[in-house]
Amino acid sequence: MAVYKKTYRPYEGALTARWSRLLVIPRYAFEDLHRRKFLTTFFFASFLYPLVCAIIIYVQHNASALSLIGAQGAQHLISINVVFFLSLLGWQSMMALFLAAFVGPGQVSPDLANNALALYLARPFSRTEYVLGKMSVLLILLSLMTWVPGLLLFGLESYLEGWSWAVDHARIASGLFFGAWIWILLLALLALALSAWVKWRAAAGTLMFGVFFVASAFGAVINGIERTNWGHLFNISYLVGSVWVWLFEGGQPTTNGAIFFRAPRGETLPLWTSWVGLAALALVCFFMLARKIRGAEVIR
Amino acid sequence: MNLWRRQLGAVLRLEWRKTFFSKRGWWIYLLALGPVAITALHWLFEMGRSSSGHSLGDDSVIYAGMFHFFFLRGAIFFGCVGIFSSLFRAEMQERTLHYYYLTPLRREMLVAGKYLAGLAMAVVLFAGSAALSFLLIGRHFGAEYSNYIWHGPGLSQLGWYTLTAALAAVGYGAVFLMCGLLFRNPFIPAAVVYVWEALNPFLPGLLKKISVIFYLNNLCPVEVPLPPPLNLLVVETDPTPVWLAIPGLLAVSLLLLVYTAYSARQGEISYGE
Repeated sequence: MAVYKKTYRPYEGALTARWSRLLVIPRYAFEDLHRRKFLTTFFFASFLYPLVCAIIIYVQHNASALSLIGAQGAQHLISINVVFFLSLLGWQSMMALFLAAFVGPGQVSPDLANNALALYLARPFSRTEYVLGKMSVLLILLSLMTWVPGLLLFGLESYLEGWSWAVDHARIASGLFFGAWIWILLLALLALALSAWVKWRAAAGTLMFGVFFVASAFGAVINGIERTNWGHLFNISYLVGSVWVWLFEGGQPTTNGAIFFRAPRGETLPLWTSWVGLAALALVCFFMLARKIRGAEVIR
Repeated sequence: MNLWRRQLGAVLRLEWRKTFFSKRGWWIYLLALGPVAITALHWLFEMGRSSSGHSLGDDSVIYAGMFHFFFLRGAIFFGCVGIFSSLFRAEMQERTLHYYYLTPLRREMLVAGKYLAGLAMAVVLFAGSAALSFLLIGRHFGAEYSNYIWHGPGLSQLGWYTLTAALAAVGYGAVFLMCGLLFRNPFIPAAVVYVWEALNPFLPGLLKKISVIFYLNNLCPVEVPLPPPLNLLVVETDPTPVWLAIPGLLAVSLLLLVYTAYSARQGEISYGE
């Protein structure tokens, strides 16, 4: 056939189902992540703490194991309660921050830096699907690190302690699930937003780390200088911690949050301010993403 | 020697402009401006009140806390990560480093020029921010604060805080310039250094000394204890005398710079990797 006769013909094969198109992105992303040895090692190392927790739960319910190691009174040493699960969630969430800082910035920035976004959006693939696809990489990884082991440990404790324990402590399970999701969504949004605005991957990672630590230090400075507690609104760990306490214990808390995510007693703000703070941060991230994730860019 | 000086000057002039007016550095300006804005607001709010609920001593302690926990552990650290690690790495990203490497310029001069340009920015921003914040935090006390500065310990404290901020930029700058040249992703070593520096109060005496923050803490005029229950874990170590801390920090920074220069001399560009 002569070249001039080769005109445009649209693709006529079968299309991927609309709902599953966004899963193409995580499929390739996981392949890429799997090749990075440091990340794989870090991801598996992050399960060390839940493993230790599982051993503690098992040993606590196994009298022969306790007598074998000569620690018959050990079950009184560590209680499997709200503090136990909050500590697990706090530690795993900090690990999740590190992982998100490593993985997240590499999601969007290469597409923007190489002007490749148009290649996605030229296909029957919306901006929302693109963002959800990129976000799902983080959502899956961070879920596996936070609420999945949390609920498995809750299940183990329920199995060993009995059904009545599970019913009495159902709020812990819901707190683990919803608390982890709040943190995961926030991390994923922050990672993608910074990735979209800071094209250099390493800088975006550092910035994400910085937003968490420097903003809390900035909040502490405001509290110190202005003799107020409102500086906590800049402290992401405080905002998340106070919401977690409510999710785990409701209106009468006995703890002040999880490790790394504390809401110090006597310095608390009304709970709604924490929700508003988190929502505001999420909205800013949405705005940043909406500004940058576009098929065409007008350069003036 | 004259040629080296001219080359150094040329690199410094080029890098100075790039570092100071880089759009990607907007967040570093925010880091430096944050404490100045808060202390200025404090001054304005307290001026509007009939009586202040705190003393000048309280403000001095608050400033010391801000300097320890915000400037040293936050703003200067992350600011230096941003400024110094991008001096080489950003040029690799933009594929412009070979323009420097093609010029008849010693790599050591290039490293020194870039370092001095980054240092100038870090010192101007962070030492300036620390000094301005110090001057503003007690301004609402009026004549009493002027008296504290000119006839009390204020001027000496201001000097030490400014010097400590500048030395922090020198130390962290050398560390992150090296990271930017040696690591493709300088964030990983930066995270490791951050954790190491954060753990410093809890480390045994010998390990404490392998850090920047240990020497900087000794230079601060007002000591800030860690809040409970963390204070129970602190390992007490004899502070390093000032005459040893400053030259020690400068010597370690110089050593890192020499190593960076040596690495740059051996380095080859491969933008594809």
